[in-house]
Amino acid sequence: MTPHPTAGQAAWAHTPERSSMLMLRVMTWISLRLGRRAARGVLHLIAAYFLLFAPASRRASSDYLGRALGRPARWRDLYRHFFTFAATIHDRVYLVNRRFDLFDFEVHGEDTLHRLLAGGKGLFLMGAHLGSFEVIRAIGRKHQDLRVAMLMHEDNAQKINSMLAAINPEAVQDIIGLGHIDSMLRVRERLDAGGIVGMLADRTPGNDTLYPVQILGADANLPIGPFRMAALLRRPVVFMTGLYLGGNRYAIHFEPLADFSAVARGQRDAALQAAITRYATLLDQYCRKAPYNWFNFFDFWQPADTTMPPKS
Amino acid sequence: MNTMQDNPKPNISSTADLQREVAELMVECLNLEVTADQIIPDAPLYGEGLGLDSIDVLEVALVVSKRYGLQLRSDGADNRQVFNSLRSLSDYIAAQRTR
Repeated sequence: MTPHPTAGQAAWAHTPERSSMLMLRVMTWISLRLGRRAARGVLHLIAAYFLLFAPASRRASSDYLGRALGRPARWRDLYRHFFTFAATIHDRVYLVNRRFDLFDFEVHGEDTLHRLLAGGKGLFLMGAHLGSFEVIRAIGRKHQDLRVAMLMHEDNAQKINSMLAAINPEAVQDIIGLGHIDSMLRVRERLDAGGIVGMLADRTPGNDTLYPVQILGADANLPIGPFRMAALLRRPVVFMTGLYLGGNRYAIHFEPLADFSAVARGQRDAALQAAITRYATLLDQYCRKAPYNWFNFFDFWQPADTTMPPKS
Repeated sequence: MNTMQDNPKPNISSTADLQREVAELMVECLNLEVTADQIIPDAPLYGEGLGLDSIDVLEVALVVSKRYGLQLRSDGADNRQVFNSLRSLSDYIAAQRTR
């Protein structure tokens, strides 16, 4: 897929990943010239633009917020939702540039991560399009062993890599493009070296098999691929989200999600289903805790077999 | 450039027996709904052919490396070529196996 820097509002609305890429490009330009405080003024324009000109994203936001807030979403809620999205995308520019001094991070559950890493066999860190995953870089700054290799669809890997190269060339090597045996072997090698492999496990990277779950009291489907990989490679899985709290504040949460280290093959399917269900529960919990941090601006809630999430 | 000292690996072809054995390993580890002799040696493992995804192929890779003592690495020989079909995988195993 080729990038579409001039994509119109319809394309923005239907392809969240492209919209975030375009936004990241715009924000990089602005941020590097104006600084964080001034650039944040532009975020309001972007939020307003989404609110006015991205009807499909607005409907998805409204539908989601209604579930997460437990009441009908108002315009100001939608605005805040888009603003939070824009703010986290914008902050990626600074996080990739290692400007951690600009932020105030509170960290919960980091000991879980270190305890599991101490095993020396590596682990999977699973996030979602919920808050900022990029804030893991702030954890990584203190510990060399916390370099995270992000696993993602090859198309996106290439786009994001070229974007990261523009922001900070040193950030590039941390992405593994999904899809071929070489990348799978790289994942294993990374883990064997005691490293962390990160994934956003709430969207399918292709024609993945979906597993029905309940999130915010409604039917949704999650791809089983990320958990299949963790089960196959017999590794622990830690959930991570970096919730944006406003201003320059983020709350980073780590939660134990699953551990496939000692799961026998005959029990793998049951362990896999338990892990996906636990992941759904965590998504539910953090959506309620920080409602404006959910960044799937498409119709995520669908009964089984009909969900067609965009490529992630 | 080849010199007399170089000892390039001969291009070993797999036997029908080995292909059959590898096919059986694949059927077993992936719970495939086909039998081993229904897997066409030259059909692609991915997509159109056998319909495996990259995680399935990883599973096959893990199982055959263990069974035949292979050292598969991401920067090793042309892995995509090796995992192209049952025949290419079996040929690779025939040439590289240590047990």
